[in-house]
Amino acid sequence: MSTLSLTGVSRWYGNVVAVNDISMALGPGVTGLLGPNGAGKTTLLHMMAGFLAPSRGTVTLDDDPTWRNPDVYRRLGLVSEREAVQGFLTAYEFVLASAKLHRLPDPAAAARRAIDLVELESAQDRRIGTYSKGMRQRARVAAALVHDPQVLLLDEPFNGMDPRQRLHMMQLLHTLGDAGRTILFSSHILEEVEQVSGTVQVMVAGRLAASGDFRTIRRLMTNRPHVFAVRSTDDRALAVALIAEPSVSGVELDPTGLTVRAGDYGAFTRALPRIALNKGIRVRQLVPSDESLESVFSYLVEA
Amino acid sequence: MTLIATQSLTKTYGGRVTALADLTVAVEPGIIGLVGANGAGKSTLIKILLGLIAPTSGQVSVLGIDPTADPAAVRSRVGYMPEHDCLPPDLSAAELVTHLGRMSGLPRTAARERASEALRHVGLYEERYRPVGGYSTGMKQRVKLAQALVHDPDLLLLDEPTNGLDPAGRDAMLALVHRIGTEFGISVLVCSHLLGEVERICDTLIAIDGGRLLRADNISAMTTATDVLAVEVSEGTEELAARLAELKLPVARDGRLLLVPLADDGTYDLILGAVAELDLPLHRLDQRRHRVAELFATRELTHA
Repeated sequence: MSTLSLTGVSRWYGNVVAVNDISMALGPGVTGLLGPNGAGKTTLLHMMAGFLAPSRGTVTLDDDPTWRNPDVYRRLGLVSEREAVQGFLTAYEFVLASAKLHRLPDPAAAARRAIDLVELESAQDRRIGTYSKGMRQRARVAAALVHDPQVLLLDEPFNGMDPRQRLHMMQLLHTLGDAGRTILFSSHILEEVEQVSGTVQVMVAGRLAASGDFRTIRRLMTNRPHVFAVRSTDDRALAVALIAEPSVSGVELDPTGLTVRAGDYGAFTRALPRIALNKGIRVRQLVPSDESLESVFSYLVEA
Repeated sequence: MTLIATQSLTKTYGGRVTALADLTVAVEPGIIGLVGANGAGKSTLIKILLGLIAPTSGQVSVLGIDPTADPAAVRSRVGYMPEHDCLPPDLSAAELVTHLGRMSGLPRTAARERASEALRHVGLYEERYRPVGGYSTGMKQRVKLAQALVHDPDLLLLDEPTNGLDPAGRDAMLALVHRIGTEFGISVLVCSHLLGEVERICDTLIAIDGGRLLRADNISAMTTATDVLAVEVSEGTEELAARLAELKLPVARDGRLLLVPLADDGTYDLILGAVAELDLPLHRLDQRRHRVAELFATRELTHA
């Protein structure tokens, strides 16, 4: 169990501020790092991995700084965005080289274990040059995992993978997170982040805009009414009953059903079942329309 | 009119690698999603549709024309947006798109006008006079889309149009593709890995796997409602599960969701009653839908 902590971290390149005063603590489990292009995600990951010095603030892994401290690589692995694999090596040779670089006591066994973990055994003796994108990505994850690190950082691991390969990579991240490792990955594909992990760190223009479970983040945006789509046996009667509720700020009737705007999430979601039962209206559908990670993200970026 | 029709289309490379195997499919105009794993044969299919390579055997027709026999006729009516970046960095978008318009046979002035119109449609305004080399990924994708539109085609082939875009860029690109398909009345074939994206903008879906047709159908037919109700409460999931079990409803858990088989309309009342009685915040009550992703998930199981 390891914790990666950032305290007041900034990084600037000349006059350009890439990362601006970020503090966070990452514990075991899977966390998604989100943000528009140019938000500073890669800069942040590189500082976490000790490739870049923070201009201000500190990045520590269990109280040891990651910058100028090669010892952290015993506990930390990074899968970078750029693909840098030697196509002439087989996956086994590639992972073995990584194991030897870490001076592991039994590099061959470690390499086999890592390849096993990413389920690449059947192809391990083929040259990486012949691999598909997803297989290459898995070989790189195996190389980053070979020394069994407590912390794994991945920059855009799903890029260019097909649905099956992404499903597989997601399962792998889940397994690693459940086993108590600290996993941080950046991604643009929000519906998939939503599936892998509800816990996110959102960066906008170099700053940390929000962190935590995105559902909790949504509840905290009290200035935005929660929007629900409701369908029932008698929409009009339900609309009349709902608008009388103080927690409801607006109701719209359209041919397919009701759109309800609720100012107070807790009060509305508790009131709806009660009201429907009292009025003898059968609710056939209640779907939150702006609770997905995608809408939470766009609210954060707009703000 | 059938937009694209293939009949036992087969393509083998060097007699050993089979990219397409006996593919028979017919699609109507609209927005069509083409999905499949890497190496499933999507790119080969697109190249055959464009008349860039000839099939080993079988027939193909695009807009009623056979691309093997008359590739020039097909390409004059089809726009193609390639997956990879292929833009000369020192040209401006306006120059490049005008040039490609002239390559499609437009006269000089018409090409310039059409280029300016196409660039405006994709949302490039003043930037169009700057060299392409300094563009962001999103802007480059827009230039690629504009050059596919410049000769006013009847069909667009888009290969991974949202690759490398951030969420806002993806949204804008998807909205644009949807607009081209609905407002401009141009049919669009979109290749994508992101099934959620395909579900959002396409009417029809073609899924291929290992060069064979997995399924071709309307999206609505693939996302029909199931006989399972998904219930989500933002707290007290355990209590609700226990209460529903007492009411003799067979409850299954799936992450934060409780899944209850929908026997008849009474099931709705039972669930609502239980939620009201326990005074829990009801977050979601909905019939589960099939998802396009299941197509691949079930295959995964059969492979294992």
